[in-house]
Amino acid sequence: MEPQEVVDLVRRVLGDMVRDVKIWKGNDYIEVEIDASSIREAAARMKEAGFDHVKDVTAVDYMKEGRFRIIYNLSSYNNFDLSYYIVGLAYDIPRDKPETVSLADIYTSAEFQEREVYEGFGIIFKGHPDLKPLLLSPPVAEQKPLRKDFIVREEPEIKVEKKR
Amino acid sequence: MSGESPEGRAYVGNINVSARRARKLLLGDLKLGKLVDWGTAFSLWPVHLTTSCCGCEFAAAWSPRFDNEQHGALPWIGPRQTNMIIIEGTVSKKMACALRLVWEQMPQPKFAIAMGACALDGGIFYNSYNIVRPWQVVPVDVYIPGCPPRPESVARAIIELQRKMRKKQIASKFVEEGWRPDKEYVMPKEDLCSWWRG
Repeated sequence: MEPQEVVDLVRRVLGDMVRDVKIWKGNDYIEVEIDASSIREAAARMKEAGFDHVKDVTAVDYMKEGRFRIIYNLSSYNNFDLSYYIVGLAYDIPRDKPETVSLADIYTSAEFQEREVYEGFGIIFKGHPDLKPLLLSPPVAEQKPLRKDFIVREEPEIKVEKKR
Repeated sequence: MSGESPEGRAYVGNINVSARRARKLLLGDLKLGKLVDWGTAFSLWPVHLTTSCCGCEFAAAWSPRFDNEQHGALPWIGPRQTNMIIIEGTVSKKMACALRLVWEQMPQPKFAIAMGACALDGGIFYNSYNIVRPWQVVPVDVYIPGCPPRPESVARAIIELQRKMRKKQIASKFVEEGWRPDKEYVMPKEDLCSWWRG
């Protein structure tokens, strides 16, 4: 299957929800930008079309533009032709109101990865069955360490008490 | 062998001669504390707490090629039957809770070895938001530099710890005084297990 055929398939499945489609360098990653309101409908249609699992859920912080871009990387196990490609289902949400809907009931493998996005960026997924930090402890997760305005100090100050 | 009696040697099992020699050794030349130090130095039991990638080298150190059991140390299962901990690599804030819990369960006298650059001062994660230095959690006796250290380095650290124990008489002083006078008690500054609700 050529990458352009996958693009045609995605356009046929999603219809007018698609805002923009981009084939990335390397011809195996296709980023599909859609509206934030139609994400659950789009995910359900993509699952019927053969993209049966979520490889990765991630987010990008565009601080100056005031938005988060949330990306679900979909791929296939059962369909051999589609399994070569990864389709990124991307949408934007405003940065000052980081709330969106969860896809954990459509794609089961998205559940833990949405928790990772939650602890790193503080994005709240409504409808998630168990939304709490996965790897970080809650005091660290409250600082939202993956946002761009989280300051990582180059040389943290370590106080060593001198022995007498 | 002419003119020298083979009695009392290891290969001749004369128990009367051996007992006489042992009594002379224990009560005369040796003090009993040295025996405690000697015994503790060759019965080190590291607990299995693999925090990071240095655990591969830790496993290789007890494999047949770099057989560390010959130095008198063997990894054991539960923390309550061990007296040494080898901190292998990075300790994240959540893992620091587990490290401290394991450390508290181990019987005295207990020893800690910090292995790898991350355990020394953070390594490549030196400015990460989610790590602690192991010396902020437990009192460390011996540090092993390297990223990761070779299994020979682990053997060297164990031998170094044994030398230190016998030179400073750590175990016998613990028997006398009930605590380790050579090491200050380390109390973590921050609450490590605050995330954990019973």
